[in-house]
Amino acid sequence: MAGYWDRYGRGATVCHRWPIEAKLGVVTAITVVALLIPVEHWPLFGVLLAVVFVGHSLARIPLAYLMRRLAFFLPLVLMLGATIPAAEGFSGGWETMWLIVFRSVVTFLALVWLVSVAPFDLLLATLNRYRCPPVLTATMACMYRYVYVLWDELGRMQTARRARTFKRLPRWRQWYEGAQLIGMLLLRAFGRAERVHGAMLARGFAGRVRFFDTRLLREVGRESGGDDDDAG
Amino acid sequence: MHVPDGLLSVPVCAATGAASTAAVGYSVRRLRDRLADRTIPMIGMMAALVFAGQMVNFPLVGISGHLLGGVLCAAVLGPWAGCLAMTIVLVVQCLLFGDGGLLALGANVLHMAVIGVWGGYAVYRFLLGSDAGPRRMLMAAMIASWLSVMAAAAAFCLEFRLSHPAGAFDYRNVFSLIVAFHSLIGIGEAVITGLLVRFLYRHRPDLLYGPVAEGGSSGGVRRVVAAGLVAALAIAAFLSPFASSLPDGLEAAAERTGMARLERSPAWSVFSDYELPAIGWQPASVAAAGIIGVVSVVVLALLMSRTLSGWKSDREGLAA
Repeated sequence: MAGYWDRYGRGATVCHRWPIEAKLGVVTAITVVALLIPVEHWPLFGVLLAVVFVGHSLARIPLAYLMRRLAFFLPLVLMLGATIPAAEGFSGGWETMWLIVFRSVVTFLALVWLVSVAPFDLLLATLNRYRCPPVLTATMACMYRYVYVLWDELGRMQTARRARTFKRLPRWRQWYEGAQLIGMLLLRAFGRAERVHGAMLARGFAGRVRFFDTRLLREVGRESGGDDDDAG
Repeated sequence: MHVPDGLLSVPVCAATGAASTAAVGYSVRRLRDRLADRTIPMIGMMAALVFAGQMVNFPLVGISGHLLGGVLCAAVLGPWAGCLAMTIVLVVQCLLFGDGGLLALGANVLHMAVIGVWGGYAVYRFLLGSDAGPRRMLMAAMIASWLSVMAAAAAFCLEFRLSHPAGAFDYRNVFSLIVAFHSLIGIGEAVITGLLVRFLYRHRPDLLYGPVAEGGSSGGVRRVVAAGLVAALAIAAFLSPFASSLPDGLEAAAERTGMARLERSPAWSVFSDYELPAIGWQPASVAAAGIIGVVSVVVLALLMSRTLSGWKSDREGLAA
């Protein structure tokens, strides 16, 4: 997946300026409503979908991006939904399948909206403010920091492997190589974790991770006329 | 696999959410006094690794599978930190990827982080015993992976059944499909976990042995109980297609008192129509899925541990 996950999270539209609590509330409400609407009231799904789309366009999220996300998401849900008609010998259950697919798509788009108007670090800072255990938020922040690093590392390792492999491997061999890639990445990741821990200790880490609102940084940057590069 | 929103009802989502919040909360409490340690970077890195590891495809005929990571986390980090690492993976997958729904997050955490890691760890340690050689470790990791996937499937079947009224689906067919599918996923997960444990044993055996030495002998009874629970759940998965056609206790009682005649819905009669023609293939297919699963996991584990024999010197060399 190209780019980082919350790539549209740092815009300046109406949606971005809302307090995060309100956005979380809206998305949870949409999810619950989508789950509670019975099949007979199916037009309401259209209404809900329209609301979500209005939210997306207010946040200026490109349609192409949404389509790409949906292209990754829809096949999985369709496959899962198709087990219901398959269980009835394809003679019924289509209604249920579409219900499941619709509900999933609405809630998925709502989640995409949430992430696109609330960058992940702000979400974590908010969770922290609401007394989510610091172990969870701190490890999540650590994961968010390093997952791109590991992805890049994995990509380099795969490229290197392809460069050394001159023919297509048999299937069992591909399993073996895949596991070896992950294992090697695990060893490197743990080495990195130890270095990171050393660096944390060197900066006075004693078991407490502090969060701050990165929007403040951006404000400072704007006032001093500096370029706004911290979004990357 | 990740449960999207729309399959489970709101009360079931709330109940599974409460259960997994309690379980994750307990894991957090067990880790609280070790915060200053390298716990935070280790858990964060492990979660990032599981994420990255899921990008590696393992080709099968037509489709391809990927690592789930529950037993791997448990074997390397231990149950508490492993549970947190998997929880984080699931939360981020839900929020940023839309893998699994927001309300179904509780159910997903319950399946993959609680049953997958706690249960997987219990089975792993139970099978490992006190003095674990490499072969036994490989066997234990593979069997634990397969059992925990099947146990998660059983939990999903139960939640799905509780989410919908009696006649809404042909549960017997749905459960047969779920169980057969997860049996396949479980074999894949067992093989990948086995290969990874083999790799780790060869290069950094201390990573695998670390949490084992730390855990000591405390909590032995609890672990046996937990391992038994996971095994029972896995067996329940294979029984669920048969059990689903029996009426619930409540329904049976209502039937006996004659109440059922009053409230029997038309959906129920549709249900019994569907059930009859399909009765032939399900017991056979579900039993086949179970037998194929057990046999192939054990055979593959034996085959893979065969190749471990030359490694003893490696480990001794590292220890020296």
